[in-house]
Amino acid sequence: MKGLFKAKPRTPIDIVRQTRDLLVYFDRSTESRDSKREEKQMTELCKNIRELKSILYGNSESEPVSEACAQLTQEFFKENTLRLLIKCIPKLNLEARKDATQVVANLQRQPVQSKLIASDYLEKNMDLMDVLIVGYENTEMALHYGAMLRECIRHQIVARYVLNSPHMKKFFDYIQLPNFDIAADAAATFKELLTRHKSTVAEFLSNNYEWFFADYNSKLLESSNYITRRLAVKLLGDMLLDRSNSAVMTRYVSSRENLRILMNLLRESSKSIQIEAFHVFKLFAANQHKPADIISIFVANKSKILRLLDEFKIDKEDEQFEADKAQVMEEIAALEP
Amino acid sequence: MAANIAERVHYPLDSSSYKIIDEIGAGNSAVVYKALCIPINSTPVAIKSIDLDRSRPDLDDVRREAKTLSLLSHPNILKAHCSFTVGRRLWVVMPFMAGGSLQSIITHSFQNGLTEACIAIVLKDTLNALSYLHGQGHLHRDIKAGNILVDSNGSVKLADFGVSASIYESNNSSGGGSVACSASSSSSNSTSSFMFTDFAGTPYWMAPEVIHSHNGYSFKADIWSFGITALELAHGRPPLSHLPPSKSMMLNITKRFRFSDFDKYSKGHGGSNKFSKAFKDMVASCLNQDPTKRPSSEKLLKHPFFKNCKSSDFLVKNVLLGLPSVEKRYNESKVVDPNSKGSDDDDEDPGMQGNVKQRRISGWNFNEDGLKLEPVFPKDHCRDDVVKQVRFEEEKVIKEHDVVASGTVMEPKPNTSSDVVDHDESLVVEKVGSNIGGRVVNNREAMLGTLNVLKGSLEQELGQVKFLMNLIGGEEIHVADSEEQMVQEISKLRTELEVERKKNLQLELQLENIKLHLSSAVNSPKS
Repeated sequence: MKGLFKAKPRTPIDIVRQTRDLLVYFDRSTESRDSKREEKQMTELCKNIRELKSILYGNSESEPVSEACAQLTQEFFKENTLRLLIKCIPKLNLEARKDATQVVANLQRQPVQSKLIASDYLEKNMDLMDVLIVGYENTEMALHYGAMLRECIRHQIVARYVLNSPHMKKFFDYIQLPNFDIAADAAATFKELLTRHKSTVAEFLSNNYEWFFADYNSKLLESSNYITRRLAVKLLGDMLLDRSNSAVMTRYVSSRENLRILMNLLRESSKSIQIEAFHVFKLFAANQHKPADIISIFVANKSKILRLLDEFKIDKEDEQFEADKAQVMEEIAALEP
Repeated sequence: MAANIAERVHYPLDSSSYKIIDEIGAGNSAVVYKALCIPINSTPVAIKSIDLDRSRPDLDDVRREAKTLSLLSHPNILKAHCSFTVGRRLWVVMPFMAGGSLQSIITHSFQNGLTEACIAIVLKDTLNALSYLHGQGHLHRDIKAGNILVDSNGSVKLADFGVSASIYESNNSSGGGSVACSASSSSSNSTSSFMFTDFAGTPYWMAPEVIHSHNGYSFKADIWSFGITALELAHGRPPLSHLPPSKSMMLNITKRFRFSDFDKYSKGHGGSNKFSKAFKDMVASCLNQDPTKRPSSEKLLKHPFFKNCKSSDFLVKNVLLGLPSVEKRYNESKVVDPNSKGSDDDDEDPGMQGNVKQRRISGWNFNEDGLKLEPVFPKDHCRDDVVKQVRFEEEKVIKEHDVVASGTVMEPKPNTSSDVVDHDESLVVEKVGSNIGGRVVNNREAMLGTLNVLKGSLEQELGQVKFLMNLIGGEEIHVADSEEQMVQEISKLRTELEVERKKNLQLELQLENIKLHLSSAVNSPKS
């Protein structure tokens, strides 16, 4: 008989609801519980998360259907499913954690009636970002929470929250964590925060100039860690050369201390660091309102700088680089005490 | 239980905790060592030490590889215990696989290939790994015997994710890492959600659609490489590897007179009857020209060839017994011939170092009876009309190429339908006319010029790409049957144009900024 009345295929909404119920169950989880039942529920939960993923991404047989995705997304954010999921991730097995991460990532981009409702949800639940950021301190969770975080800061409003939160300072340590995979993930998030939303970044850098660049210089550009210096000088170039940050750039290249740090980076034995350092160094030289102390550094070191630049070759032919170099040399050569 | 505890062990994140014993592999920017982890009972480990200063400008690829390694978990996949930086090098600490790579094993002791029973064990475990990877949305992109490792207990693990890619991350920059991989360069971003268009892998093992990668490829590319790996294990070498791995290799094999060498080789190794029908059929299905006709890894696991597959003990008795240690084999191979294939855990032919390879293959035909792969050259084939030139070491290409160009390759041949193009990007796609009407693309000089100009100034580039698009549009009249390719070509060029436009915009912004400073300088009196 049963075969005749096969259960109706579950709709995306059913799956979200069931996932939520299971998450609620595990969220309340206490020690004294039937472990066998728990195991069964966990299998069920993992299966549901995988189904959500397959609706959102499609699978080998079918491409995702936008209507199903929209239904799923709407139901997901109707209640606190995201919070439950984030809280329960440590309880899941590795495969389910990866599935959950991909589900959360995808939901950030799902439009519901051409609106990103994920953004609205997060706006009311910003404290979730605190959970995700601190995740970098947990070796087990860092890569999962990190990937979710990077997706969430695609929303400008979320990025603004994170930039202005006290957590921002923690990134200076996270990107130097000894585990390379975690440090590199934190660095990717840090870069995203400081480059993605132009106006927000410009506002942040102007308002936080003092502490931010003090930390940036001492903790990152002067770090003893090669990879930190390399990433930091590259990102610095990206930030300063962005037109929206021109005010910050002007301020940065007027500081004698900053020039000193960049000149040291220019002398590094690593070619990659040298090249990135040059792209920042040239801004000091191109600045047409050089403060007197900057000019005096250039003048005092004129012959050394010119020799260094003259011998500075990059492996690949690069007209732009050569042109920049010629201009910088000309600029410095023309300086008089 | 025991396995659970073993997983929890945290390997130390400082180099002083490891004692390096021996070098067991080397490549372009990486060295692999055997080492002992002192605090953990001197457990043997393999350490892949990657020179970060020599890897690509942005470290995204390295990050992705590290992440992939951390998040994969399968008995047939070699995962990393941990990774950390040591000065300018990244150390990736992995379990030590005492048997080394299958490539090193066959090179040392089974030069005419393994028996089918052994091949089945190795391939089945490899397929298990592939099936897991594909289920996770990952492509390995460099399947070959050199990346399949065996432990002393006969367990088989797939290694090296230097060029692997994930469909879930493919929207980030361009995929295609090049951390320590032999050949990888990337150009355009992927076109559809499950497709890749960048060029990655090692040529002998590369699927036709990867070589023609602008059309996109996906999981089935791994299946092709898997088929080539099967041939490699059966014959002791991948198809066509009897040709010297020199820069001119692929140029040479596209010439007709070289064909005789291939025939000689085929005859010399004629003992194809030793292979079973099931094996031939399995390999043939993987080497189908049409990716959609190749089986998935899941389906392949059910192939009769893998039925009654023996256990790993069989591998220990029949392959590993009496085999010298990994380090000994590696050192021997270095002494015998510094250019021979001595690399082990790492995946590079040392012969590749410092060499530029320019390879052109328009297709492969699998000869099922002979269990051989035979090349198809553009000249003899009407369908495969897009050819790609790849280069491996950026700096040397121009010089080397000039030598090649002034040599035999560029001889005007009326019916040669392909050409070599030098270009600033690491990858060049060239349109080649079809042979059906005996037509030749007589605009090839213009095309060459156009593509060369691409590396010039950005403004010029915009104009030239438009010109190129017109050019291709014009060709359609003559070569009707490759219209489809042209449409794809155009859409690819459009994407490139878009990218260049964006770059241009950025540069313009920079320029404006500098101009601003300059003009204010003019206004302010100089002392």
